[in-house]
Amino acid sequence: MGSEPKDTFPRGERAIGRNGEGEKEKIEPLDESWIEIMDGKKIGFLIFLLILAIFPPFVLSQYWLHVMIISLFYVMMASSWNLLAGFTGQVSFAHAAFSGVGAYLSGMLAVFLGLSPWLGIAAGTFGAAVLGLGLGFLCIRMGGIYLSLTTLGFSEILRIVITNEDHWTRGTMGLQVPGLFAVYSKTSYYFLFLFFAVVMLVFIRRLIRSEWGVTFRAVLNDEVAASASGINTIRVRILAFTLTSAMAGLAGGLYGHYLMLITPDIPSLGQMFLVLAMAVIGGMGSFAGPILGSFILEFLSEYIRSWGEYHVLLYGLIALIMARFAPEGIMGLWAKRRRNPWAS
Amino acid sequence: MGVLIEGKNLSKAFGGLTAVKGVDFHLSAGEIVGLIGPNGAGKTTLFNLITGIFPPDTGTLSFKGQTLLERKPFEICRLGIGRTFQIVRPFLKMTCLENILVGIIGRGEKGRGKGEKHEEAREILKVTGLSAHEPRLAKDLTLIEKKRLEMARALATKPGVILLDEVLAGLNPSEIQQALELIEKIRSQFQITLFWIEHVMGAIMKASDRVIVLDQGRKIKEGKPLEVVSDPRVIEAYLGEENA
Amino acid sequence: MYVTNGIVIGVINAISAIGVSLIVGIMKVVNFAHGELYIFAGYFSYHLSVSLGLHPLLAMPISIFLVFVIGLVMEKTLIRPTYGDDMYSLIITFVLSIVLQNAALLIFGPYPNKPPSLVTGATNILGFFHYGNQRLLSFFISLGILFFIFYLIKKTWFGKSIRAVSQDREMSGLMGVDHYRINMLSFGLGASLAGAAGVILAPIFPVTPSASSAVSLTAFVVVVLGGMGSLKGCIVGGLVLGIIENLGAAYISTMYRHIFAFVILILVLVFRPWGLYGQRT
Repeated sequence: MGSEPKDTFPRGERAIGRNGEGEKEKIEPLDESWIEIMDGKKIGFLIFLLILAIFPPFVLSQYWLHVMIISLFYVMMASSWNLLAGFTGQVSFAHAAFSGVGAYLSGMLAVFLGLSPWLGIAAGTFGAAVLGLGLGFLCIRMGGIYLSLTTLGFSEILRIVITNEDHWTRGTMGLQVPGLFAVYSKTSYYFLFLFFAVVMLVFIRRLIRSEWGVTFRAVLNDEVAASASGINTIRVRILAFTLTSAMAGLAGGLYGHYLMLITPDIPSLGQMFLVLAMAVIGGMGSFAGPILGSFILEFLSEYIRSWGEYHVLLYGLIALIMARFAPEGIMGLWAKRRRNPWAS
Repeated sequence: MGVLIEGKNLSKAFGGLTAVKGVDFHLSAGEIVGLIGPNGAGKTTLFNLITGIFPPDTGTLSFKGQTLLERKPFEICRLGIGRTFQIVRPFLKMTCLENILVGIIGRGEKGRGKGEKHEEAREILKVTGLSAHEPRLAKDLTLIEKKRLEMARALATKPGVILLDEVLAGLNPSEIQQALELIEKIRSQFQITLFWIEHVMGAIMKASDRVIVLDQGRKIKEGKPLEVVSDPRVIEAYLGEENA
Repeated sequence: MYVTNGIVIGVINAISAIGVSLIVGIMKVVNFAHGELYIFAGYFSYHLSVSLGLHPLLAMPISIFLVFVIGLVMEKTLIRPTYGDDMYSLIITFVLSIVLQNAALLIFGPYPNKPPSLVTGATNILGFFHYGNQRLLSFFISLGILFFIFYLIKKTWFGKSIRAVSQDREMSGLMGVDHYRINMLSFGLGASLAGAAGVILAPIFPVTPSASSAVSLTAFVVVVLGGMGSLKGCIVGGLVLGIIENLGAAYISTMYRHIFAFVILILVLVFRPWGLYGQRT
């Protein structure tokens, strides 16, 4: 990969485009049947993945590796929220709450029952899925505003209960939980998060490109018309809620056992806002948007932190401007530029 | 006998407002039945009752003998009743092809490949004259093109009956002609029965086998177009609207 | 005494709620930034009285007016383009509320600001207990505002236009009502009501940046409980919520005070989404 610059901060599709062209020629003589299933994009993606797998653990400091891990957490959160809000139109404010469910359930099982954190995370994911099913069901007759308010209420109820039942959750002091590896190693966590993020993203991408993706978007565009065209919109909405809540639960479970301290900050509206901002700024309704948004905002916040806790305000302003002038986020702007390359 | 849809004694009120009261109607296979009446007469409400958007307060509804009550809209679509909307509603941020795909997917058939469904969608695009617009987003289409798309989408659900709600509204004369041709094509080529709300009187009188007139929620006349159009009660219902 | 508290707070809640209800009814937009407008009014009131030395009776209306203007600006720049798109107006006002909350923290600092009370002391209520005079005054001012709103909505041209637009946007457009102006003014009015609630309550409950969420929440619950678009509903809902919250906090648990609101919210939305007096769609 001689002339490629070392990309320690991944930049999504641009990197893929550049790498894809270069690498295709190398593979050809090796195995021709691969060409049939590998197009330029897939090859580029694998290379990108390779870069992500190899460089950060060996090149970055422990601090920046930590930032990468946090970014991957947000990638999972933003992408799953985008699947719910950007693809089925259900703007839920309970997403962070579900990550909290995953974290706390897993953590408490580990602390009180001595359950292995790996199993705990599975349990946390399942628990979040069940609650997501319930919430989705509860909201089924509700349109945009009501649904959002209900999810907001749900999220806050959860947070208040968690904060106050400190006998079980240790409230604002935080619940200390065991890590996932016998020997603490940021590199191990990094690969773990990378693995789950990739799995989740592959799943989401395949879903989006399948018939389910078309169905989801039909519900997003016009639920009544979709229903009149034979789509079981109730099933679609509840499925989306359940799936995405499970994803949030998984992300939360991993997060909790990485930080090894679980606080009510995780299921908070502040976290919810960050996730939302990442999806909106990156591009709601696209696949790569939330990924882009997560990395950019997380890394940016590290720089901004040196001046003060202004990143929330800044992100809010950017998100506002985006939502107002560029509702399709960075991905939308990028797509528009491609269509009109002579525009300034 | 061929009665497809039958409704008896249907009533629906919203709060204090009665939209539909004691309406009986039926639709037989192969017919075009017009549904006319002044604004607010309850026509679209009747369509909404048939397609299951809300339940009637009283009355029965059946399709090919099976009751339509207590069924969700998507189930009613799968039974074979399609519809278009008064204000056209295609899936704006999706391509024309995808719009039609939704209709195909909505049939809920198992075991059919993605390629097969795409082919079928293209066929339907061809039949409705939209092939050139396949990759375009619905929001970029003109009104008549959107209406074609909506009809194409309804066609994709393989209905036995299509409920057309003021499909000619907002079209200029040449577009109306196009729409009428398409509707006739749908009717004859696909053997679809039509229940048609319309205000463009000329068109609907020419096309319909039978016409039902609603006024303030009640059926005031039913019969052949010529009978209906000369009935004094019908004339008064419309005149009343003009003076309002 | 708790019931009285509940009633007083309830009436003020009602004002705040009407602010939300108005905007929802006319524009179908939930103003998530409601609470922030409330605290901004409180902050303006404080700074005008304390830092600039204006008499509270002057500071209060000026603060409300400032918030009114902010509301107009908000509507024109941010909300207007999102007409017809539920999802984006939701997101925009939510993000706006976070931005304003953080801006308040930045501009006004984290410490509670308490504008001076208009009156002091307490009155003996019917021989049962003593009740703060400022609270009593707040109650009467709120009643006054409520009457004013009623008058505005029922009797004036503006009120009639609002009702026309909220019932049927298309028809009212055809009848010559200028949507954009009505929407902007309604939003401004909604903002002013939030501001009014803010200046009335700030002398009793000092404003902090984090107080805005509770204010918004309370307003939303009242609107949902009473029924979106119903003035009467806001009043009844406000009273009911005020009483329940105060009684609940006193007799059950103070920590879970806010849960009552959320639980009521969800119960209503699930079982009776149109609230007490709203219209079933």
